[in-house]
Amino acid sequence: MSAPGTPTDPAEPTGAAGDVPAQRRTALNEDWAATVVGLLLLALILSGLWPGWLVP
Amino acid sequence: MSDRQTVTAPRSTAAWALGGVAVVIAIGALVRYLEQAVPDAAAGTAWAEIAEAVEYPVYAILLGLLGNVLLTVTGLRERLSGGFRTEFFIKTGLVLLGASIDFSVIVRAAEPAVLQALVLITAVFGFTWWLGGKLGVDDKLRALLASAVSICGVSAAIAAAGAVQAKKEQLAYTASLVILFALPSIFLLPAAVSALGLSPAVGGAWIGGNIDTTAAVSAAGAIVGEEALQIATIVKTTQNALLGVVAVALTAYFALKVERTASSARPGIRDFWERFPKFVLGFLAASIVATIFIGVVGSEAARPLISDVNAFRTTFLILAFVSIGLEFRVAPLREAGWRPIGVFAAATGVNLAVGLGLAVLLFSGLTV
Repeated sequence: MSAPGTPTDPAEPTGAAGDVPAQRRTALNEDWAATVVGLLLLALILSGLWPGWLVP
Repeated sequence: MSDRQTVTAPRSTAAWALGGVAVVIAIGALVRYLEQAVPDAAAGTAWAEIAEAVEYPVYAILLGLLGNVLLTVTGLRERLSGGFRTEFFIKTGLVLLGASIDFSVIVRAAEPAVLQALVLITAVFGFTWWLGGKLGVDDKLRALLASAVSICGVSAAIAAAGAVQAKKEQLAYTASLVILFALPSIFLLPAAVSALGLSPAVGGAWIGGNIDTTAAVSAAGAIVGEEALQIATIVKTTQNALLGVVAVALTAYFALKVERTASSARPGIRDFWERFPKFVLGFLAASIVATIFIGVVGSEAARPLISDVNAFRTTFLILAFVSIGLEFRVAPLREAGWRPIGVFAAATGVNLAVGLGLAVLLFSGLTV
């Protein structure tokens, strides 16, 4: 395996991206999860459904 | 491997990740406590002013780094790392931050923010790509470095890594480099904003355009003040929104030029949408919802509710800052040599200079 600063080892296949696709999928899922959790919290608080004692 | 083992492994990974989340929350609770207890304890002493000036990002990052050292020494850090979800915490915090920004401010700041982002991304990406090429840095790594330094740090590096099919070591290295440069910036840029006497809008725009990773932008913005935090977030969110464009351009460039094969296809609208950071939509939606809500019920009635939203926002930002400290890794940096670090440092210098000029030029007349 070549060090990050050196040219790619030609013997290593292009698909040797390891878990990069998995990390990208996680990042995309976290994008949606953050959007849903944030907007849900906002809706619950603004509608008065979120109990005051549960506010950090 | 037996069936029993294949079922147990993911369960065990999930349990460790939950343990990681528990660690982040426990340190976050300690940050909350210190943020209130330290100024109270220092009141009336010679340390009172310093204790008041130290904001929650400082406690969160320092305690995160301390936790990092302790967990590394005890051998638990890697196992728990699945729970250090910086990206999720920061993005949730930013969606909630949208609720405290009047939508009209976003509309007014949109034009200078888009202009700044376009010029800054083009200049800094171009410079980093060029210098990386001059110093013989691998094409994929320089794509990661250029994206990270010019757009939005770790998220941009992840998107670029997917676009150019980089190796996981290159991604780990770039992510460590981003945090290595972001950590001092969190403290140095607010000090520079104060030393240069910049207005909150210009200071916020400079911070938002310069610090690579979105979590660190929020930390530095929060240290300067609420107004600077709002502008810094709008500027950084605009850069985040342009991430999709750059990722698609990189996909096209690598597929059609660098690694051209018979099966190479031009990326389309679907690729752009896939790479678009969706939390930007949540941030805009939260601002619109809160602006309409305040308009309907009145600002007096809305204030305590928005204050509750802000309490959650601060909590998620604290969890993100703690995770930054916990996630930082030195090992990938040792392997890479001086060239990529030199490229990143030079690009950061260019980013600082061009970013300051653009912030002064575009944001001097803006008030929140």
